[in-house]
Amino acid sequence: MLTRGTLIYIAQRLALIAFTLVAVSFLVFITVHSLPGSAFESERVHGKALQLLLHEYGLDRPVLVQYWSFLTNAIRGNLGVSFQIRGLPITPLVMRELSVSAELGGTALLITIGLGTTFGVLAALRQNTWVDYTLTSIAVVGYSVPSFVLAGLGVLIFSYWLPTVTNGVISYPAIWTGSYGTLVELSLPAIILGFYTSGQVTRITRAAMLEVLQQDYIRTARAKGLKSRVVTVRHALRNALIPVISILGPLVISIITGSVIIETIFGIPGLGKEFVESITAADYNITVAVFTVYALLIGIANLIVDLLYTVVDPRIRY
Amino acid sequence: MRPAQEHRLNLGQDALKPSREDRALRVNKFTIGGIGLGMLGLLTAAACGSTSTPSTSSGTLASSQVLHFPVFQDPGTWDPGEMDAEVDTELMQNVFDNLWRFDDKLNIVPDIATAVPTQANGGISADGLTYTIHLNPAAKFSNQDAVTSKDVLYSWNRGADLHGAYSSILSAINGYSAVQKAAGSPPTSGTPTTFQGNIEKQLAANNPAFMMSGLTAPDAETVQVKLSTACGWCLTAWTLEGTVGAIVDEKAINAPGVDPVTWWQTPANLVGTGAYKLSAYVPKQSLQFTAVPNWWGTPKPTVKTINIDIKDPSTVPTTVDAFFQKGYDIIGYGGDSGQIPLANILAVKANSNEKADLLTQPKGRTTWVSFSIGYPTGGPFQGESAAAKGLRLAFDLAVDKNGLATTVCHDLTCTAATGGLITSGLIGNGGPNSDPLAKFDKAKAKSLLAQYDPTGSLTKNLTYSYNAGSPNDQVATYLQNEWQTNLGVHVNLNAVSDASIFISNRLSGKYQMDRDGWQFDYNHPQDWYDNLWGVYASSAGANTSGFDDPTYDTILKQADTEPLSTSLAQYNQLATILQNDVVYIPLYYSVGNFLIQPYVSGAGSNTAFDHYWNEIKILAH
Repeated sequence: MLTRGTLIYIAQRLALIAFTLVAVSFLVFITVHSLPGSAFESERVHGKALQLLLHEYGLDRPVLVQYWSFLTNAIRGNLGVSFQIRGLPITPLVMRELSVSAELGGTALLITIGLGTTFGVLAALRQNTWVDYTLTSIAVVGYSVPSFVLAGLGVLIFSYWLPTVTNGVISYPAIWTGSYGTLVELSLPAIILGFYTSGQVTRITRAAMLEVLQQDYIRTARAKGLKSRVVTVRHALRNALIPVISILGPLVISIITGSVIIETIFGIPGLGKEFVESITAADYNITVAVFTVYALLIGIANLIVDLLYTVVDPRIRY
Repeated sequence: MRPAQEHRLNLGQDALKPSREDRALRVNKFTIGGIGLGMLGLLTAAACGSTSTPSTSSGTLASSQVLHFPVFQDPGTWDPGEMDAEVDTELMQNVFDNLWRFDDKLNIVPDIATAVPTQANGGISADGLTYTIHLNPAAKFSNQDAVTSKDVLYSWNRGADLHGAYSSILSAINGYSAVQKAAGSPPTSGTPTTFQGNIEKQLAANNPAFMMSGLTAPDAETVQVKLSTACGWCLTAWTLEGTVGAIVDEKAINAPGVDPVTWWQTPANLVGTGAYKLSAYVPKQSLQFTAVPNWWGTPKPTVKTINIDIKDPSTVPTTVDAFFQKGYDIIGYGGDSGQIPLANILAVKANSNEKADLLTQPKGRTTWVSFSIGYPTGGPFQGESAAAKGLRLAFDLAVDKNGLATTVCHDLTCTAATGGLITSGLIGNGGPNSDPLAKFDKAKAKSLLAQYDPTGSLTKNLTYSYNAGSPNDQVATYLQNEWQTNLGVHVNLNAVSDASIFISNRLSGKYQMDRDGWQFDYNHPQDWYDNLWGVYASSAGANTSGFDDPTYDTILKQADTEPLSTSLAQYNQLATILQNDVVYIPLYYSVGNFLIQPYVSGAGSNTAFDHYWNEIKILAH
């Protein structure tokens, strides 16, 4: 049940998100439109032809007029049109790509939390044993090795090395099928993206579990004769998850930014790949749109995490 | 990254250790194993997801006639009035037809027209100014609308109005300039889309200011084209597929609710007369074309469906892997024959199982170094003085062109440009070693440098500019090394990461010397000499070196009006003028590389474009 205070808090945060979106879009819009280069100019398109194209797309107007046009259209859900694919409406494109990224990011987040909390709990329960050392070492590898290195290695091993040594009998599909790929195609990028962030969750969970397991109420629970599994899962883990939830916001951001690289390497048609391509193609309307959507996602993710605090820790009230 | 301090603090704390008999731990042990096995299983499943099986070809057709290949660039536009990217024209040559088409040997053959007009068959008047073209009554659009002379007039007028990259193809037609003037001044008020919208509006209203006076339709199946001047190259240019010469359906573009800018993005609106039609388009992801039922032309398409994935160029190596996993039937179609990295080509050639799949085809692109002759940025290379020419020649002769092809291209992705500016295999190429600028003579180069720059002051701080990327980076390094080794001159390299900035600067003469090149559009010397240094190039701001010679312009003007049988000698004179003036340093001719599965019959390419899809058959494999 949402209290009045919570509703006011949500309203304030939404207003702040709206302000952030305007600020981010304005800064990005002005910046990208100040950059040299053009999506239209080529060996064939220059002079009068270029001038007319700029006119066609309203790019010969003052930049502030162009921004106002973008903002008023964006409020109505119209993020403008692409320059590279001339006249292509951006909103449906970005929505589709967002859903592709959500598939990858959601799977990676599940892997992050599943792997990270499991490893963290086990490492804490078996502190200073080979289990602990192994799992914390894996965590260190996870957050120390950049995801693009892991991705490159993954592609090299599964798409090139394995097919070569097995004469093509075993091979990871090198191409992504359709918008959402197959489960098989999704597996490698999602594991790599999730593995990178799971290291952080492992460390946080381990530290939180070690702290919780020393609390009096855990000792009391054990003294009452509760089974160790019940004590660990019902009493210790629930409280240990609070710090994990606190890093969910940064984790989501990390996965979003990580997806830019992973999607590009694996050729996944998501928002991250679009972000890179739009910059290299000087398709600035798309760049601004993707930036704005990212800002919106991050704002909402942080809001959800803040609201989740109240669920896992009743002491927190807004 | 979390702070190390926190890590140490937590490790230092005493924790409650569960006993060895702890069931929870045992469960968790299983969990570890489970997760590990799960991940291993997932990856193994992933690894086994695609099985590569060797294929054998036979003459019988496969039951599934579906062709699958990638392209490495999104479409820019498929509006023939504006198309300019190779990926677009390569695909759209299968959707749109012109009045004539190039066959696989680049001969002009009838397409929508019943014949190729000549003076002998009465298609061209004695003075060469009037073309009479009869349309094939069987020609139909994919929506079954008949093609009439009105469609030809609409398509060509629209092409002139839109000022697209290839609108100049129509420039010899009476009224072209007036139409460009009228359409090129769009209303200043209204929405940003008024330019194209206005053209459609004016054409629908039959506004004569937007229609070339030289284009008329005596009847539904006849088109008459009157030229302002005789034109020896026009027929070849009008035949160029996927550009302004292509015939579009006015009814489809101007149907209610159809946007005049984005009409081509919807499969139902992209109506052409070709053997294939667009059946699905997911922007930035995939395309699907299907054979037009009961298509009017020949040969009738055997392949029923063409599936195309739109991939990022960064994924080319993995896409090559996918080809050998039988994920693709062809790589290199859609104007991407230059995309396969040299490392992959070398690997394929070294593999006895794979090398048969590689098709190497010289493409019509020449790359050279341009000097800034007519711009102040040219420094010691500027102008027509003996010193400027001498220094240009010194820098030319100091470069071993054969060495470049071997070092940079391994003699696989390019060959030395020794037959002149026009690529080998095309009309106007002088033949091997015919270009004096292709020579490598370091002694003469050194002597010229000593003669015209004895103190070295003129050739200090020279800069060679190019757009970054492969093979331009390797070429630049090679040139720098050649000039250093053979002339003792250090030339700075200016790699420009943004190609559009590089092109813009090059066109406005901002570089001292730079990478330059041309990919031919149609097999006629006019395509090179007009578009690079002719009056058209200069007026359109496309004369990259600023070279300006009245004699050149006079000969070019005359050559353009004559049939090729008499004009070729004049075009060769232009080649000589450019060579005598040392306007360029010839470097290399591009060679395309394709990967084609052995069961794909009829696929291939010529110097200009991919073989048409309706020539392809998928054999049983």
